[in-house]
Amino acid sequence: MSDTAIIRLSRRDLLLASVFVAAAPVAEAQTPTPRRGGTMVMLVHPEPSTLATYAVSAGNIPPVTTQIYEGLLTYDWDLKPAPALAKSWEIAPDGKTITFRLQEGVTFHNGQPFTSADVQYSFMEVAKKVNPNGPVILAELTSIDTPDPLTAVFNLANPAPYLMVSLSSNNMPIVCKSVFEGTQPLNNPTANRPIGTGPFKFAEWNRGQYIRLDRNDRYWKPGLPMLNRIIARFIPDAATRSAALEAGEAHYAAYSAVNAADIRRLQASPILGSTTQGYGMTAAITALEFNMRRPNLAKKEVRQAIAYAIDRQFLVDNVLYGFAKPATGPLSSVFSTSGFYTDQVRRFDVPDRIDIANRLMDEAGFPRGTDGKRMSLYLEINSFGEQWLRQGEYIKQALAQIGIDVTLRSEDTATWLRRCYTDYDYDINEPFYSAGADPVVGVHRHYVSSAIRRGTTFVNNKDYRNPELDGLMDAATREPDPARRATLYHEAQKILVEDSPGAWLCEVQYVTIFNKKLHDHTGPLGAYQALDRAWLDR
Amino acid sequence: MRAGLRRFARNRMALAGAFVIFCVVLLTVTAPFLFPQGAFSLAGQPLQPPSLRFPLGTDALGRDVAAGVAEGARTSLLIGISAALSAVLFGAAVGGVAGYYRGPIDLLLMRMTEFFQTIPAFLLAMLLVVILSPSLLSVIIAIAAVSWPGIARLVRGEFVALGGREFILASAGLGASGPRIIFRHLLPNCLSSIIAVGSLLVATAILLETGLAFLGLGDPNIMSWGLQISAGRVSLRSAWWVCTFPGIAILLTVLSINLIGDGLNEALNPRLRER
Repeated sequence: MSDTAIIRLSRRDLLLASVFVAAAPVAEAQTPTPRRGGTMVMLVHPEPSTLATYAVSAGNIPPVTTQIYEGLLTYDWDLKPAPALAKSWEIAPDGKTITFRLQEGVTFHNGQPFTSADVQYSFMEVAKKVNPNGPVILAELTSIDTPDPLTAVFNLANPAPYLMVSLSSNNMPIVCKSVFEGTQPLNNPTANRPIGTGPFKFAEWNRGQYIRLDRNDRYWKPGLPMLNRIIARFIPDAATRSAALEAGEAHYAAYSAVNAADIRRLQASPILGSTTQGYGMTAAITALEFNMRRPNLAKKEVRQAIAYAIDRQFLVDNVLYGFAKPATGPLSSVFSTSGFYTDQVRRFDVPDRIDIANRLMDEAGFPRGTDGKRMSLYLEINSFGEQWLRQGEYIKQALAQIGIDVTLRSEDTATWLRRCYTDYDYDINEPFYSAGADPVVGVHRHYVSSAIRRGTTFVNNKDYRNPELDGLMDAATREPDPARRATLYHEAQKILVEDSPGAWLCEVQYVTIFNKKLHDHTGPLGAYQALDRAWLDR
Repeated sequence: MRAGLRRFARNRMALAGAFVIFCVVLLTVTAPFLFPQGAFSLAGQPLQPPSLRFPLGTDALGRDVAAGVAEGARTSLLIGISAALSAVLFGAAVGGVAGYYRGPIDLLLMRMTEFFQTIPAFLLAMLLVVILSPSLLSVIIAIAAVSWPGIARLVRGEFVALGGREFILASAGLGASGPRIIFRHLLPNCLSSIIAVGSLLVATAILLETGLAFLGLGDPNIMSWGLQISAGRVSLRSAWWVCTFPGIAILLTVLSINLIGDGLNEALNPRLRER
């Protein structure tokens, strides 16, 4: 009796699920029949220190929390807005009002219904106050009206085109108002026992071991999620993480959960697959930044010469194990989808680049001394891992070709940050930029003069001041028309590459390693997206 | 002393150790001529296996592993010897003063020594390097700072044992000053133990240095065996030669110094002479 009931249920669900599979953009060679149930194990590294994703932007939190919290929007493969908790939306012609219509019948994991009051509270009381990206993304948001429980109206002081690309569950998670009201968001009891509307519910966190998430049986998308359970496992040792994937004990590892040096070996494993999709919103770039307060580096020719001296393809092949591509400027080429990216800038990857660099150094008034050296500079080694020391060692050799004697300096993270962002006592620094979904979020702050803020990390520490660039970036912040915005960014890239306040090295390509038994796991937002459609083969 | 050297020469293992160390010294002297480009230069294609052109292969950036081993030998010997020497000088001074003057000074100095002995040596060395920020000098200081307590305890023990002997009492009775008794009578009589233990300190200092460099706490501008191994570790399964040769270099050097230390100990220690 009960057996037949189960079969009938699964047949109906299979039908439903196959609709989703047909719409799934990652096409399988032959689509096997989706199967319900099972426990999926994902590797997350390092273990998050908190699950308060609404207040902390560390990259190791969202793989867990995007299963639990949802956002108003999600994004399609062109990174255009798609419905999530908001069913539809409407932007007023002047760009200053956005009306969101919300999904019906959505409940939080504690049973509370989801309404526009939760949206209002999540943005005005939580995101605007404690989200680290709040001051940028929500700068123009003045208030949210809630004419009825399923309508939320955002009122903006000025058009904010970057807002609509920053509303995913990772950027702006929607929390339950009744749980948060009257508490400090950071100390809320649910900070580490999150309650959201997502396909999986928080079950337990065994520190140092794993986080367990159970299926949300009352999820609002019919028939989803497919999996019964997700375990996020924390394994400190990189070799053991790779071995867990090879042994089939773990099914999924995204971002840096696997050492780049191991990826080729894992790709050769018959039970594992890999994909580079789902990282479109990361736009990560490795770079050098120059302290323009130093008289040597105040000269544009010297900065350009350094940019010419570096063989970016060498860094891609030998430091990043091939999982990257050479960068041409401050914007990653993933911004091609929005039209913002251009490679029509001064190109440093020309065949006679070393000759050009040497000529520029001569013109700048730094002839070679009797020992062949023109000047000595310090390079601050990024303290976030070994890859940066390798990159520094290469740059030391590369700059020796144009007569610059580089001394490497490696210090602990706190000292390095203080030297580069508070004391400004550095020559060249090797940072890592994540642009995020829109240049406004993670690009402007490195170059505009208003972002020269002593003591704030990862902002304009170069003392780069160019009123023309400031004007372009200001205009791009407020310009609602995508085509006109793109023109502004093209112009800004030309100016930045010509001025070279930094040298942009490589666009980092992340790789997701997965067990071939796991299907439909990668969407446009990769690991920062709910695994509601993912399912496990027997 | 001369008889001691003769006894040392009869010890085959110690002689073998001395031969290896002689080769290492020879390597450091000839390195600038063998590898004029230096160990950091990008000499060829990355991750080439050992060949005629690169007898020990190249690493992930295309640097000659052989050049790295040669330059690393210089770093290891330089740091090992100068750290051990500083530790011996400081340790002997502390132990000598404590053992000769006794009383409250002894109490104070020995509690200080024990304080340093109870902290795990490697952790303290790491901490010191981080505080002083990694450079050749800070690594030497850190290693010396964790190595001196052993010498201090040794010298104090010897001084206390010798302090009651007739010849010391006699010279004190003849009106010899404290420093004169320490430097003319006490120190020469425990020099053999200091040499034996001090030579072993060189080996531990080299191990400490490679450990620090492996963890990225060495001077990034100086090639070191530890740095080579740490850089090659990620490609261990695909390019064994990057880690293996510096590893063998560490093994041989440290083993040889230990053999020499044992040989010296047996040759110079009167209690072991009859074995």
